[in-house]
Amino acid sequence: MSIRKIIDWAIQDARGQQVGNIASPFYQYFDYEGHWVWACDVDLGDEQVIRCVPVAANNRELIYAEQGRAVTLSRLNNGKWVITGLAKSLNSTVHYIYMSFTDDTYTIMGKSLRGFVIRPLTYGELGTLVPPPGYGTLPYGVQGKFRADGSFVEIVEQH
Amino acid sequence: MRNISTAMQQVIDGGLRRPAYKIYAWDPTAATISAVVSAVGILSDPAPVDLTPYASDLSWSDRQFVFTLVDPRGLFHPDFGEYRKYLMDASIVRLLEGDETVPEADWTVTFTGQVHGQIGWSKSRNAAKMTSRVTVFGRGETQAFKRRKVTSKEYTVGTDLGIALYDMCKTFLGLTKNEMRIPFTLGRQFKHKVNQLSQVTPWDGISSLLEVVCYQPYFDGEGKLSYINKSLHRPPARLYENGDRIVELNVPERSQDAINKVTVTFLDSQLERVDGPYQKLGQAQVTTGFFSMHERLETWWSEDHKQRADGTSMKVIKSVNSGLLPVGSERYTAVDEFHGQIDVDISVWVPILATVMLAEYLLAAKAPDRTSQTVVTVPGMGSTLVAPPMGGPVEGVITVNPTTMGQWTISVGRVLQAQALIGILLIMMSLGSAQYEVWGTPYDYAYLEKKSIAIEDGLDYWLENNLDIKNDFIGTHDQSDIIAMTELIWQKCLGAPRKIAVADDPRLEIGDIIGLPDGRKVVITGMSKTIKRGEVSTLVLDGGKVFTA
Repeated sequence: MSIRKIIDWAIQDARGQQVGNIASPFYQYFDYEGHWVWACDVDLGDEQVIRCVPVAANNRELIYAEQGRAVTLSRLNNGKWVITGLAKSLNSTVHYIYMSFTDDTYTIMGKSLRGFVIRPLTYGELGTLVPPPGYGTLPYGVQGKFRADGSFVEIVEQH
Repeated sequence: MRNISTAMQQVIDGGLRRPAYKIYAWDPTAATISAVVSAVGILSDPAPVDLTPYASDLSWSDRQFVFTLVDPRGLFHPDFGEYRKYLMDASIVRLLEGDETVPEADWTVTFTGQVHGQIGWSKSRNAAKMTSRVTVFGRGETQAFKRRKVTSKEYTVGTDLGIALYDMCKTFLGLTKNEMRIPFTLGRQFKHKVNQLSQVTPWDGISSLLEVVCYQPYFDGEGKLSYINKSLHRPPARLYENGDRIVELNVPERSQDAINKVTVTFLDSQLERVDGPYQKLGQAQVTTGFFSMHERLETWWSEDHKQRADGTSMKVIKSVNSGLLPVGSERYTAVDEFHGQIDVDISVWVPILATVMLAEYLLAAKAPDRTSQTVVTVPGMGSTLVAPPMGGPVEGVITVNPTTMGQWTISVGRVLQAQALIGILLIMMSLGSAQYEVWGTPYDYAYLEKKSIAIEDGLDYWLENNLDIKNDFIGTHDQSDIIAMTELIWQKCLGAPRKIAVADDPRLEIGDIIGLPDGRKVVITGMSKTIKRGEVSTLVLDGGKVFTA
């Protein structure tokens, strides 16, 4: 690889924009400077959801965006991410292909499908997902995190 | 692997070679590189200048060709040389390699390029010669291909990527079909409805289109656009079984981390529906009653009429029947994904009854209060007749108030009017405002950004050295899986470089795989050699170890 290629990667990695999905209803939180700011959790497709991502100034209409909508995140100079707008693309599933290289041969060791969906639980799920079975354990509107194959991961706590 | 003439092949395989070369240069004001490359054989009109007698110290690689021009008569001097136009900026230079025993028509064009800028030229008092160092660059080194940003025309879904590729080459690189060795159809189609390359350099655009089929573009020795197939599942182009043509085999040092993870990101061609939470989408209210038989209320899910929703239903907050009488019915219909309508129907009897009551009220107003001699009976005082105007015929009920001894008449008309009025008021009291809400699940469409990641098995997160590839011409996960795997194998191959010096073979090209005596294979990624008159050159092949399944 050339120096130019490495520089291109560095530029690309330093890009100040990401696309994520809204993973919670919007809420207000008290930031370290003592202000109430609108924020929500954002799913970037990684294992962990980014918590308390504030909405950038003059973007208040964003708080009316529904959960699951794609948003663009911009990085501030201090390294924090803020939600700056709506996006048209949405993080989705990831195919993983595991390969092994030995001497001059390679082997495909396996494949897996990854990806998460965060959505409100359905009526049926409210009564069955968390033991003991039955309604009342989970409040209506609670969010759940599911894998790409539909299997349940966890309840996403709201702030 | 390059096709060469049978005569040249026989000479190379025979081993008895008398190598020869020719260097031709064309005046760029008279000929274009496109004409030179497209011509069958050597372009003779306009005729080139043969630089062979003046050239020495030839150094060739797949990217540039450098030689020393000995010019005792100053023919190529940039200011006053007679042939200066043949080595000026953009001059076209071709190198032909062959054998003295083979006619020139059967020789192979191993380099086609252009002079960029100005050639160096020197004249020294100490030496009798006037010399010039000439560097010719391959077509792939043209900066305009890699710096100028362009926007292509749009292509509809189903169009083969090859068509867009040919358009790009024709429009932005000025290439004709004869200058391309890439198949016209690539077997991959655009998956999105509208496809355009926007604000990319032509070279990046072509690279993106070819990336879908794991190809990498390059200009071959003839100056034609060709490709390197990164998929190494093909037999070697040349087998060096006994190694007698191999001069040297090196494993160069490489002090860089190799790529061990490749992430291919693409936009799915299908727009995916993204649901929002169940919520109130719209509301409507109406004031209605006997004066209106029917009200239609349209409710949109957003002010700009752009929000889509599904599973919509109406919640009646305040019904039109919440008055004293049930006067009508209300119903909701979802018209389309953007809006619905609420219909409020007032029962037919309501306006009819109102009209009848009004008419009765009017008619009853005409009922006269007539009087005549009337027998008035007063308890304890007997009966007496009272004549008009004090008495008279009375149609109505005469009520005598025994305490005040007074009496009055309630006319029939008033009673009838009161009855009609009650009916009218009842209907009027039944009208009022109704309020409705429409609830449902809002949704929108978004392109899903999908990924395929080929990664070395068992790699810890902190050891990952990732290569990102973004390409929206990839349509499916299957395609991106293949690209990710092929690229990872290619990168592993580049991470294991090999340098092999062999006896010159004009059949070899970039991207060819050669087989070594020990059974291993190497893919060629670069070539270079020094050419001397009458001597078989040593071709230095740069490449990487091929990994096979």
